[in-house]
Amino acid sequence: MESFERTVMPLLDDAYTLARHLVHDEHDAQDVVQEVYLRAWRHYASFRGGDARPWLLTIVRNCCYTMRRSTRASRDTIEYVDEEHGVPSGGQQSADAGALADSNRAELRRALDQLAPEFREAIVLRELQDLSYKEIARVTGAPIGTVMSRLARARRQLQQALGLGAGEKS
Amino acid sequence: MNSAHVGEQLSAYVDGELPPDVALEIADHLTSCAECARDYETMLTTVRLAREGLVREHAPDVLRARIRASLREETGPTVARVAPSPRRAWRIPWNVVAAALMIAVVSSGLTIVAGNRRASDSPVAQEVLASHIRSLMPEHLTDVRSNDTHNVKPWFNGRLDFSPTVPRLEEQGFPLLGGRVDYVNGRSVAVVVYGRRQHVINVFSWPAGPDGATAPSPQTKNGYNLEHWRQDGVEHWAVSDLNSAELRQFVSLLR
Repeated sequence: MESFERTVMPLLDDAYTLARHLVHDEHDAQDVVQEVYLRAWRHYASFRGGDARPWLLTIVRNCCYTMRRSTRASRDTIEYVDEEHGVPSGGQQSADAGALADSNRAELRRALDQLAPEFREAIVLRELQDLSYKEIARVTGAPIGTVMSRLARARRQLQQALGLGAGEKS
Repeated sequence: MNSAHVGEQLSAYVDGELPPDVALEIADHLTSCAECARDYETMLTTVRLAREGLVREHAPDVLRARIRASLREETGPTVARVAPSPRRAWRIPWNVVAAALMIAVVSSGLTIVAGNRRASDSPVAQEVLASHIRSLMPEHLTDVRSNDTHNVKPWFNGRLDFSPTVPRLEEQGFPLLGGRVDYVNGRSVAVVVYGRRQHVINVFSWPAGPDGATAPSPQTKNGYNLEHWRQDGVEHWAVSDLNSAELRQFVSLLR
């Protein structure tokens, strides 16, 4: 328990961040993360030490996809609610993001939310969680080559959505 | 490589995830191909924007509390599955509490008189706030975790010499999270825990004697909002980092 407390509990923000990007609804994300921690706790024996983050994020991802599958019947597409994503509400997000105007951030968030889930998760795992390709491959269960091409394509799509398309420098 | 453009690989190049020889070739190509160099700049900009613009979410306290409570539930009844978990150091020895309660009941007549004039800046407020902050620490929020009044209210039976009110306020946006017994103002008190978005509200109550009902009076301490009132002979404190307006609304629902 103490070891779990020390290694896994501090990753709660990481887990919640990924969940918020994969299932948009705040309450769904909370439910997912609670489930994640329960599973993590039950399977803690299978964690072989090292960096617990990829291990935990793998569980987050799997739980998110399970939830998406189960809610797809009732909600075909997951709607983007601007009010929820536009302006950070808690005021506790990292302060160094202040350089970017809120409107830009909202635009970026919207562009990200438009991406296909496997592209979106690649971006979140890379840019927000700062995982290596190898770690992303582990979390997503895809070969490294796939991770590489997904990230490349995801970034291209972001470029276009943000009006940075190749050839037209901003 | 020399003649072809490197577009597809720029993303991995930016991340430093290409084998050194490939990376060298690309670096070389970028010095001679204006189109790819422009492409590279755009890629850098995209990555920078994403890194700066995407914010790490902060998991709400309520979630943290829910997780800890569910893990505790998991470890509680099936201790055999895991190494015996170190229970909270402050866990209350009930036999001692029972003895203390008897003394408290006997002497309550005196303490009521003494407690009557305690107003906003009392040591009690400080204690209540300290308890609230302590409750946000690992494993401290609830002893009984339930969103059901019918579980929480009976839980206090036998643990306290009175029964706290535990209304359901979920529909009004204040879900019940659970309850615990804490030690404030020299006695065991009931703490009923509610949530509001990511905020936690601790409601402390203990018997204060028959007289002197008071209306809720708000105060702010160290950035936390407190409401204190006395009703039907019970002393109440509500504490939260929730804004004062919503805390006030909560208190009016509670009464």
